[in-house]
Amino acid sequence: MAVSESHKQSEHIKPKEQFDFFNDERVRSVFYQLLTAAVVGWIGWYLFTTTANNLQVRGMDSGFGFLGVEAGFDTDFKLMAYEVGVGTYGDIFLIGILNTLYISFLAIIASTLLGFTIGVLRLSHNWLVSRVALAYVEIFRNTPLLIQIIFWYTGIFSLLPKIKNSFDLSGGAEVVLLNNRGLYMPWPVPGDLLWMTGLALIIAIIVVIVFRRWAHKRQDTTGRIIPTLLPSVALIVLLPGIVYLMTGSPLGWDIPKIEGFNFVGGSSLPPAFLALFVALTIYHAAHLAESVRAGILSVSAGQHDAAMAIGLRQNRVLSLVIIPQAMPAIVPPMISLWMNVVKNSSLAIAIGYPDLVAVFMQTSLNQAGHAIEIVGMTMAFYMFVSLTISGLLNIYNKRVQLVER
Amino acid sequence: MAIVKTEKTPAREAPLSETTIIGWMSKNLFGSVFNSILTVVTLYIIYLTVRDVWVWGVADAVWVADNRRECFKISIDGACWAGVITWMDNIFYGRYPREELWRINLGAILLFVWMVPLWLPRVKAKVLIGVTTVFLYPFLAGYLFAGGDKGIFMQVMISAAIVCLIGNTLHSIIGVLTGSSLPEFLIRLLGRQDAPEKSQHKILFGILAVSLVVVYLWQMGWHAEGVSWTKWGGLFLTLVISGIGIASALPGGIILALGRRSRLPVIRVLSTAFIELFRSVPLITVLFMATTMFPLFMPEGVVLNKLVQVIIAVCLFNACYMAETVRAGLQAIPKGQAEGAHTIGLGYWGTMGLIIMPQALKHMIPNIVGSFIGLLKDTTLVSIIGLFDILGMLRSISRDTPWLGLHKEPLIFGAILFFLICFAMSKYSRHLEVKLSTGHKK
Repeated sequence: MAVSESHKQSEHIKPKEQFDFFNDERVRSVFYQLLTAAVVGWIGWYLFTTTANNLQVRGMDSGFGFLGVEAGFDTDFKLMAYEVGVGTYGDIFLIGILNTLYISFLAIIASTLLGFTIGVLRLSHNWLVSRVALAYVEIFRNTPLLIQIIFWYTGIFSLLPKIKNSFDLSGGAEVVLLNNRGLYMPWPVPGDLLWMTGLALIIAIIVVIVFRRWAHKRQDTTGRIIPTLLPSVALIVLLPGIVYLMTGSPLGWDIPKIEGFNFVGGSSLPPAFLALFVALTIYHAAHLAESVRAGILSVSAGQHDAAMAIGLRQNRVLSLVIIPQAMPAIVPPMISLWMNVVKNSSLAIAIGYPDLVAVFMQTSLNQAGHAIEIVGMTMAFYMFVSLTISGLLNIYNKRVQLVER
Repeated sequence: MAIVKTEKTPAREAPLSETTIIGWMSKNLFGSVFNSILTVVTLYIIYLTVRDVWVWGVADAVWVADNRRECFKISIDGACWAGVITWMDNIFYGRYPREELWRINLGAILLFVWMVPLWLPRVKAKVLIGVTTVFLYPFLAGYLFAGGDKGIFMQVMISAAIVCLIGNTLHSIIGVLTGSSLPEFLIRLLGRQDAPEKSQHKILFGILAVSLVVVYLWQMGWHAEGVSWTKWGGLFLTLVISGIGIASALPGGIILALGRRSRLPVIRVLSTAFIELFRSVPLITVLFMATTMFPLFMPEGVVLNKLVQVIIAVCLFNACYMAETVRAGLQAIPKGQAEGAHTIGLGYWGTMGLIIMPQALKHMIPNIVGSFIGLLKDTTLVSIIGLFDILGMLRSISRDTPWLGLHKEPLIFGAILFFLICFAMSKYSRHLEVKLSTGHKK
């Protein structure tokens, strides 16, 4: 009896001490991880050796030396000094990056403004207006961006009148002209004393910030609200304005003029740029409008009613209650939308706007080879932009969370 | 003496502003001065737009002409739809041999027949039907579209697909009529419903094997002519690429999403890196990578054609986007579900496959439809690297000699086509969202 009792007990304890090699969770996890690492490592090694072998067989060299080699082609549009015959593939890479960032930046600003407008119109009490906004959103969200881009380019901006019959967007002044070569605008030429206006502007902004802080503090201590908007705007407009006039208007304009068959002076944007800009703006604004609408609707109606009940005026209800609560729901999709603008600007290649993919991944790759380096550099650029933007998003999310709880 | 009202007060009629159309208008369109101005201005803008579009696209448009010059002769500022109509076959089928078009149409009809049971309420085993659609239909359709010599493997798969299609159709007809499944029906037909389960299974397997052999012998007799992939094009090619993309994106996405949520650091880091790499770059760079770098990755003598390269790129790209959709769906499942599953003794795959995934997938269906819309729109990018998908075809109209420079009309036609497909899908996904939601939302 006693023997069997002790036997039972030992049986009961034993499994705890026994180390079952094949069923132990730690052993299994290490095993699976090693297996995965080995498979991935093997694939990597296989790709590396076959690629090296292929490069050798085809007599292709590798490395980043080609970046210092003269590129020998020009781009239609560039934001930095570049000379055919001197500029290198490294310069082309920079031109592409600048062009991508330039159009993305402008399209982000425009699509954000338009998207907020459409999103608010979508919630309008006017039935007709909200239906029109809905139609806009559905039409542009449900057609491919690439078709839209090509449509704007081949169907609109390439069919504009010739230079002689340019559209005058400045209403008869002939300074802002639109034709099938693009958009021509005057370009500011800073004079000697312009820095004083800039300085005045900075001073005005600092004063406004200090003034608003003071007003805010005063409201906290005394409860009295001091109007800040009008004085701030007046200060920011008037102070630099007065300084500008007193220093004798030190800003000239370089106005485009027809000379022969082309324009001289001013600054110009090619039709491909305009088409891409318009298409990106319209397409992403439609997406943003939906996020804005969802964000505003996510603030419960009770918030609005309660704010009205404590006697806030309509504009204060919006600025103090609705918008601060809607923004945390709007900002994350908005920022990922900005990322999409940067990524989608690569469709420029279809209409010949010289963005990074077009000049580097296509033209340079066709000329110089070095597929791996070029693909790697291009992808690294987009990844860098994405990581930067998602870093910003994380910072924002953290701040919002701190405010919330 | 109390004053008690004995009769019920009749209800007052609803105010006119709630019932009549004029009331509705005064509330929704002319509520205030500002609102009225807004309405009038909007109406005017709509009038201008609709008038211009109508005059250009319908009233002054040319529907029948031999070339663009003739279009201009008939109407100088109307749309020239004649070009689009002439190219209609190309837009839908690309350069696929005209006498073989029935194969594409048959493939589409078969897919339709295969999928219809999924929408019929009384049919059972819908998951199985869905799985066979993904795993067997592609072989049948692939052979129909590409043709050529059938290897042994292809012959087996095609026979399996045909048997499955027939079984599927019978199953759904029986399901709609009687509410039972095909195996039950067969057993009853043979009068064996009282036999033990094991012998029932034996009979069913026997029927399956016999039909497989019969179909196998039958399919050896016919043969479809080979059509090179370079002849594929138009909407057909777009749908093939996006169809393969979505079918492989879902399993790939599930694996990657599980990897990203795994407790094993190596697997987690690798999955995360893979997902983030492809999500942070534009699709066009992935396509360029596929066409320029894949040839370098292949051992000597192996040449992938461009279509395969593109499909691999699209699959990788979409698996990563799908992974994020799946991850969002997984995150929505409360932790208690997994803990409950562990408590009743399920392992990792049991927990995931039986408890978590079925719930998560239900939540994800609207988002999956959403990413399919995105994928369908993105597929137009393959025209940039030289495949003649629908956009490639639309653009080549303007390079065709009779229709030189005809840009707008084909693109508008393509946009309308995409709009119809995508809009219908997004409406359907919204409908699904409402239908599937078991929550307590009002």
